[in-house]
Amino acid sequence: MTTRALDRPGLTLPPFAAKTVGIVLLFILWEAAARAYAGSFILAGPLAVTAYLAQHADLLARATARTLTNAAWGFLWGNLAAIALAVIVILLPRMERLATAVSLLIFCLPLVATGPILRVLFGTGEAPQITLAALAVHYTTFLALMVGLRAVPQSWLDLVRTHGRGAGAQLVYVRTVASLPYLTAGLQIAAPAAILGAMIGEFTGAERGLGVLTIRAMRAMDVDATWAIATLAAALSIAAYGAFGWLGRRLTGTPPALLLTAPRPAPPRTLGRRVLGLAILIVTPLLLWYGVMEAFSLNPFFAKRPADILAFLVTGPEAAAHRAALLGAYAETLAFTLPGYAAGLALGALMACALLLAPGLGTTMLPVAVALRSIPIVTTAPLIVLALGRGAAGTIAIVAVMIFFPTLVACLQGLRQTPRQVVDIFDSYASGRWRLLILARIPAMLPAFFASARMAIPAAILAVTTAEWLATGKGIGALMALTASTSDYNMLWSAITLVALTAAATYAAVSALEDAVLRVYAAEQVAR
Amino acid sequence: MTTTRTFHGLNRRTFLSTGAAATLALAGRPAFANGKDVALQLSWLHSVQFGGSYIARERGYWAQNGLNVALNPGGPNAPVEPPVVAGNALVGISAADYTAAAVAQGAPFKIIGVAMQKNPFAIASLAANPVNSPKDLEGKSIGMALANMPVLQALCTLNDVDIDAIEVIPTQYDAAPLVAGQVDSLLCWATDLPVAMAIQGVEAVTMLMADHGYAVHSQTYIATEDSLANRRDDLVALMRGEVMGWNDYLADPAAAAALTVEMFPDAGLDLPTQVMQAERQVPLMFSDLTEAQGFGWFTEDTVAQNIETLALLDRNVTADLWDRSILEDVHAA
Amino acid sequence: MPPDNGQAIVGQAVTCAGLSHTFQTGGAPIPAIGPLDVTFAAGKTTALLGPSGCGKSTLLRLIAGLEPPSEGTIRMGAETPDEVCRRAGLAMAFQDASLLPWRSLRGNIALALTLARRQSDMDSVDRLIDMVGLSGFETRRPAELSGGMRQRAAIARCLISEPDLLLLDEPFGAVDELTRRRLNHDLPALWQARGTTALLVTHSVTEAVTLADRILVLSPRPATIMADIDIPLPHPRRGEDDPAFQDLAHRVVAALEASAEGRPLAAQ
Repeated sequence: MTTRALDRPGLTLPPFAAKTVGIVLLFILWEAAARAYAGSFILAGPLAVTAYLAQHADLLARATARTLTNAAWGFLWGNLAAIALAVIVILLPRMERLATAVSLLIFCLPLVATGPILRVLFGTGEAPQITLAALAVHYTTFLALMVGLRAVPQSWLDLVRTHGRGAGAQLVYVRTVASLPYLTAGLQIAAPAAILGAMIGEFTGAERGLGVLTIRAMRAMDVDATWAIATLAAALSIAAYGAFGWLGRRLTGTPPALLLTAPRPAPPRTLGRRVLGLAILIVTPLLLWYGVMEAFSLNPFFAKRPADILAFLVTGPEAAAHRAALLGAYAETLAFTLPGYAAGLALGALMACALLLAPGLGTTMLPVAVALRSIPIVTTAPLIVLALGRGAAGTIAIVAVMIFFPTLVACLQGLRQTPRQVVDIFDSYASGRWRLLILARIPAMLPAFFASARMAIPAAILAVTTAEWLATGKGIGALMALTASTSDYNMLWSAITLVALTAAATYAAVSALEDAVLRVYAAEQVAR
Repeated sequence: MTTTRTFHGLNRRTFLSTGAAATLALAGRPAFANGKDVALQLSWLHSVQFGGSYIARERGYWAQNGLNVALNPGGPNAPVEPPVVAGNALVGISAADYTAAAVAQGAPFKIIGVAMQKNPFAIASLAANPVNSPKDLEGKSIGMALANMPVLQALCTLNDVDIDAIEVIPTQYDAAPLVAGQVDSLLCWATDLPVAMAIQGVEAVTMLMADHGYAVHSQTYIATEDSLANRRDDLVALMRGEVMGWNDYLADPAAAAALTVEMFPDAGLDLPTQVMQAERQVPLMFSDLTEAQGFGWFTEDTVAQNIETLALLDRNVTADLWDRSILEDVHAA
Repeated sequence: MPPDNGQAIVGQAVTCAGLSHTFQTGGAPIPAIGPLDVTFAAGKTTALLGPSGCGKSTLLRLIAGLEPPSEGTIRMGAETPDEVCRRAGLAMAFQDASLLPWRSLRGNIALALTLARRQSDMDSVDRLIDMVGLSGFETRRPAELSGGMRQRAAIARCLISEPDLLLLDEPFGAVDELTRRRLNHDLPALWQARGTTALLVTHSVTEAVTLADRILVLSPRPATIMADIDIPLPHPRRGEDDPAFQDLAHRVVAALEASAEGRPLAAQ
């Protein structure tokens, strides 16, 4: 959906030339940075990476095949689960809050907790990697698809109902096809996440794959190998991202309209119903937690139940000391989470605006954004730490890098959603692109921005805990890493519970803010 | 010197292990493995760190004892204790401090053998600014995971070092911060990061903490009390294979390294690195004690030293944590 | 020919008894309709006019069974709106044509048969396409059609299932005046000839007088009947030439003005 403002000749280079120049510049910068840091074993340049890729083509091809296969299966299962959940919610709208909450909570589970459980459940082999890839994609696809299934004109739904048909027929004849652009946009975000999920999954004790090679290369200080694998993972992600973009355009004829928000049902009116709703929202995840662990007879040594956590934190003999340790770490974490979250969202939104003002940048910057999203943070974190240090700046940067990508994609689509007539009016007054941006496009972007703000919550928390583990050694992230090595699974599950509660509370807060803002700027998005 | 021996060893072994690998690929397990399926949970990715186990499998030392042992790799997010508690693995490779922590959390573990008599923890530093003794740490910075603070604390207590004079910098487990000059020293295993640095041409000074009073058994074999009570035969057979494999390892570490690289072509292993690691872990695993009593052995004395050091780590255990009965059966035979 | 001349009437009368409807919002409840007692005669076209937001469209949605009324009943013959819907006895046309963009013209019209669980008879679909003047465009997507053509398609989709009751919610509101006149001239005969009962919501007095047999002018919210005007003119009607047409149109406009000015009265 190009617009007149976009098409104004600002850059004189033709697009393909701008693209080529941009990419060449990027490679030169990369090589220069690698040479500047030569001897520090932190960054390898494109020449060294190419040489490594050529020399180890066989090994890398086998590892890539393994990781990609797992990523593909995880992508399939995760997205199928997301689609099934979305369909359930469309058919039973009352399930929405609960389904969103459960999906969010599962997405919040850290690898340090899921890794051992999945290994014990599935044993050796590929199942844990596939599961982790699936877990990495289901939430974003679910959110994107919900918007698509909902973002349907009322009259299309009425048309079905006036023929005496219900929600099922609406789904089959109207919503399914109408949601395809949103689904493919969701899949675009999911593809790099699946590859990353499969790689991280290999950290739980896999025999082979790109993740295994990454660990090995980092331990061996083989910086050429580390960056060759990162480059490979990034290239695969960019290809997958591009492929789903292409598929989206083929299926729908237009670029996916990623307006990641939709009218949500108004909260129940009576106090009693609200209390009941909240109770269901709290009890169901607890039951699921307990039920899954019992159903699979998971050993309580490492698979703690809600009652264990209650005893550990509240009723047990040393509960106060446990609480103090947990909350102390939690306070340290919060101090970085909020600035990191804000920085990531701001970076995404600002980059989207920059790309709109200078579209030539897009062809260069989008691949970089996808790449940053798809390289395991263990590879990039040392570089960020080297540049920004282990203090607040480094931590916040790590968080921002991990969450800004979905925000960028969503905001870019949001900015482009500005109604054509509005753009025409601004053009007719010969307003500059800045005025257009500030007065028309940014308000049009708000729904997508808030949707990505909701989407980024669990990602931000995971990012902070990762950064703490890798760079600062403080907070919940370091605590969780410590608990795993000392078998302190009570503390681990307490930390998970706290993190999940934080995610849910933040989600609710962002939703409330979203409703208040959108009531002013995008009334049609708020349920009447 | 190492190189000659490696390639000499390789020529002979390649034939054998290629054959084994081919059989593995065809059948998914060694052809001679008709035994009972059990699993040994390793503590890290496949590498020569577990070279003796690979020899045991490849030479059929388990098969002849009626076992078919799966060697399950570990990883950064693959703790050893859960699969052993859950019964997915009969035996796990842990360390006395981790085992003590798990037991404190209610896991019914016993240490049934000790592969690393000397703890591999070391302080690595660069030759220009070396840490040769614990005292040298004062006034220097050290890169480590904060989770290992008790380890540093114990070293300082044992050697009368002022821990407040050391600047602790949390780092990833990676030698790069040392080489890049972000830190003066690293807390790491003597057998991995220093080897990586040496292969990359950076010769590091390695101060083994075990040489300065830090006595914590490492690469220990753990099993549950339930297994000890009900699956003694399996445990004895598994440990017997381990002992035979590691005895062969001692005879030719380079061959073990070559076998490791052969068996796991997808692990991205580098032969010179594996050879160097194989040789550097020999003095940690084999001692006068093992010479006299056999691989994996421990005594009341070594256990007592461990209990002392563990107490410094805030892990209060008794000698009950160790159970030598399996090893006694193995070495009695 | 119009039903006045003794054509068989397939539709049935629609009766609203004691009908009122209130919107439950977060704030105070907003009364939208009623109380309303009215019967729409079988086989006739009734136009509903009234100030913007007076509840005309809401009334249509209640009759279509899209929302249950807060109070009162709606019956077509003995059937409730839901029952009528279930046998595909009614069809509704919307302000925008509401064609599904991914279906061809033919596919959009056939969709009504599919939804009504009837055999997709492509011959009758194509015949109807011809009758609404869209021959040759059968395989085009909605995006390739003009606004007027899309409304023709929407009417065809309504008629393909041969409903007894036709609900038209400003179907020609979004097209230009010339196109609107042409649609007003071409299309109503298609349902009036069958004797289908029709309800038309419109803002255009001319359109109402051109199409309807009867015009109800509604009050501002909550909607009640302000004026009930019969239009006993023969079809087809040519407003510009006919003083009787002009006279009726003036009466309707006067009633609308009274309705609009009635707002302060209603507030008392």
